[in-house]
Amino acid sequence: MNTDFLKRFLWASILIILQVFLLNHIHMFGIATPLLYVYFILLFPRNYPQWSAMLWAFAIGLTLDAFNNTPGVTAASLTLIAALQPFAIRPFLSRESSETLIPGMRTLGVFNFIVYIFVLTTIHIFTFFSLEMFSFFNLIEWAECAGASTALTILLILVIEQMRSRI
Amino acid sequence: MHNLTEFLARYKHWFLFVFLEVTSVVLLFRFNDYQGSVWFTSANFVTGKVYELSSNLTSFFTMSKNNEQLTQRNIILEQEVKELSTKLYEKTRDPQFLSRGQYRTLAKFRLIPAKVVANSINREDNLITINKGSWDGVRKDMGVVCGNGIVGTVYFVGIHYSVVIPVLNSKSNISCSISGRNYFGYLRWAGGRSDIAYLDDVPRHARFKIGDRVITSGYSSIFPVGVLVGKVKHVYNSKDGLSFRIAIQLSTDFGTLRDVCLIDDSSILEQRHVIEAARDSMKNLTQDPTSEE
Repeated sequence: MNTDFLKRFLWASILIILQVFLLNHIHMFGIATPLLYVYFILLFPRNYPQWSAMLWAFAIGLTLDAFNNTPGVTAASLTLIAALQPFAIRPFLSRESSETLIPGMRTLGVFNFIVYIFVLTTIHIFTFFSLEMFSFFNLIEWAECAGASTALTILLILVIEQMRSRI
Repeated sequence: MHNLTEFLARYKHWFLFVFLEVTSVVLLFRFNDYQGSVWFTSANFVTGKVYELSSNLTSFFTMSKNNEQLTQRNIILEQEVKELSTKLYEKTRDPQFLSRGQYRTLAKFRLIPAKVVANSINREDNLITINKGSWDGVRKDMGVVCGNGIVGTVYFVGIHYSVVIPVLNSKSNISCSISGRNYFGYLRWAGGRSDIAYLDDVPRHARFKIGDRVITSGYSSIFPVGVLVGKVKHVYNSKDGLSFRIAIQLSTDFGTLRDVCLIDDSSILEQRHVIEAARDSMKNLTQDPTSEE
């Protein structure tokens, strides 16, 4: 039980509460729902133990699934990007980068950071909607929902990132 | 041996990854037939409680509006009752007729009032969580109705909470008929708008008008006859051209659903047991024709 764990636990709880009570009720144009909790995965520092990152992702996913009645859907897609996160950040690291670099606008540069969150968020949301829409699959609806939700999520993350870097 | 342990230690996170993914996928695919997975849904105690608190809070703020609507509805119904009872009296000349009739129909059902604590209308498979469970006498496959009409059927039963499959779910399949004409079909939802569902398999020789009331047929052994579903909005041909597909304007507003009632009908239960017994005996016949003696 160190401070890092407690901090992450608090951060995860805030994201889950926000997602369940606020963001899940947003459906812009009837299709776009921001899935802000991916932000938690995006912020794992470089060289963070991978098993720990995956367990975090799985726990958060399972909690959200319990609230949304979508058992396994969020857990599966969130664990996937937790596993891919170290590979997504690798191309943007330079030789001078700190060993425990935390991905962000300042540390990676604005453009690199956008590419980084775009890759992971897209993978997560497209997997999420593929698993969720298993029962009656409609290609256009799937693409619309996933695309719009990805755009909205990325926008929201950038806004929060911007606010955080100001403080 | 040394190499093997090194290999395992080096790739341990990938084993963990595979394990977690397999767990999630198992959860995903067993949800439909595995009763134990009630713990992973909003019918479990913690998530149910959290949803109930938040729903209490929101209902507090919408209370005055609901109150107003209920009062209006009450006035309209009272007028209707007065009108109908005078008409009934003119016809029968028996002042006790109404109370006797009412008593008979009410004795058949027990209604369990419940509150919706979580609801969604925008997914492919919407589910509703209500705050009554097995301790309150809720059983699987009970019918759920609200003041305006049909809601759905009970799917998972927890101790204090249950999950309901509403009409707005691809798995919902309720037998309905067109009021006064007795043609029946199956009510299904095709996704998209939350106020439109479709009545499939209505025979082509059926005659009805746009605006006719659609009610439950009582064949589904979940709902009694005559629960309001909605009105005929549009008629299409089915894909194979053998039957009609009727678009129905649902009378229930799933977006603002708050108070619901579960129908506990012992005669319906009996009906279901008989149907199940009949099905089982048919199964035995097809599997083992020689056992018939």
